[in-house]
Amino acid sequence: MDKRFVVTPNLCTGCRTCELACAFSHSVNGKPGLSRIYPLSAGTDEAWVPVVCLQCENAACVKACLVDAIARNPETGALELDYDRCVRCMACVAACPFGCSLPDDQHSLVVKCDLCGGEPVCAMFCPTKALAHQEICSSDRKSA
Amino acid sequence: MVNLTVNGKLVQADEGEMLLSVIRRLKIDIPSTCHHDAVEPYGACRLCTVEITKTEWNGWKNYVTACLYPAEEGLIISTHAPEVIELRKTLLDLYLARSPGAALIREMAAEYGITATSFQKVPDGDNCILCALCTRVCDAMGFHAISSVNRGHGKEIAPPLKEPPPDCVGCLSCAQVCPTDFIQYKDKGKTRTIWGKKFKLLTCKDTGRPTITVEFAEHLSRQRNIPADYFEHDHESHRRQLALTLGKLAEWDRKE
Ligand code: FES
Repeated sequence: MDKRFVVTPNLCTGCRTCELACAFSHSVNGKPGLSRIYPLSAGTDEAWVPVVCLQCENAACVKACLVDAIARNPETGALELDYDRCVRCMACVAACPFGCSLPDDQHSLVVKCDLCGGEPVCAMFCPTKALAHQEICSSDRKSA
Repeated sequence: MVNLTVNGKLVQADEGEMLLSVIRRLKIDIPSTCHHDAVEPYGACRLCTVEITKTEWNGWKNYVTACLYPAEEGLIISTHAPEVIELRKTLLDLYLARSPGAALIREMAAEYGITATSFQKVPDGDNCILCALCTRVCDAMGFHAISSVNRGHGKEIAPPLKEPPPDCVGCLSCAQVCPTDFIQYKDKGKTRTIWGKKFKLLTCKDTGRPTITVEFAEHLSRQRNIPADYFEHDHESHRRQLALTLGKLAEWDRKE
């Protein structure tokens, strides 16, 4: 994996463009899906954090899934949820300590960030580069 | 890899791959009501039936359930041959006699031009089409709380002795996968009721919103090593917490 999805909260203005990009790129039957990413207040005025799945190494969602519907895509590094396997028991939603498996009640689905199959659309549209998909050297930190 | 023909198109498939998965990959729409990727194929609904033949069969044809028939070299498959359509129509006609109230059945039947059953209505019919997806998913989840009981006319899905099932944890998977929405449950405040059993729902310490049942969370902690405190908050509260933590880190970064 030479490219990483990098989140830099200090650059986030809370404009929510990422949310729109995500909802449209994950549309279901022509209708926008539930966004897997959205900025939340970092506690102080004007400080925002775009919150999105961290694609954990030893992920609680994977452990919680009793039908093995969540698996790592070796090419993108994303933990992807197989909708045809998911039985919507909500175990991953309840177990993720970062709240990044989400119930999409409108479409009766559970959703999580899949890094758009390798090219995160939110990063393409982020006007301030708070979200970026970039080459990363091993000394860099803050990668998500 | 084996070579097959589906509706006149040459395609390749893994040897042993079920025909339904090949057909789905080609984006050909056939009903497959009792199929779910979380469980083994079962062949209960018969709606995925297709016609197969081979050149060396000299005109002989066979009708098989696509979900259960493995791909093999030289198969010629037809998903919408007139005989297949007839067969599906008869099945849907029969389903309509048993489960006229099931929206999915009505929709599928209408697609095949059937609006009312030509058979005698099943007097005590209900919306359960006995596909056993619920019991199979429950087994796959490792709970084995429900099963099919009796045979023939009296066959139905039920917990043991038709009493509140001791092994059920109230995860709702059975109700979620039920193609006809037959399995009923009720969430009211902090209580969930399904299969006649009452469960206490965990609630988020911040938002007070209910999440999963106490029994399900305990199972996940015990069997899958999920720390019990992960279940103390709902996903929105977890997200806010993550934003605050990352926000603090970002603040240090700014000061550096
Ligand atoms: S999906 Fe094949 S028999 Fe039901």
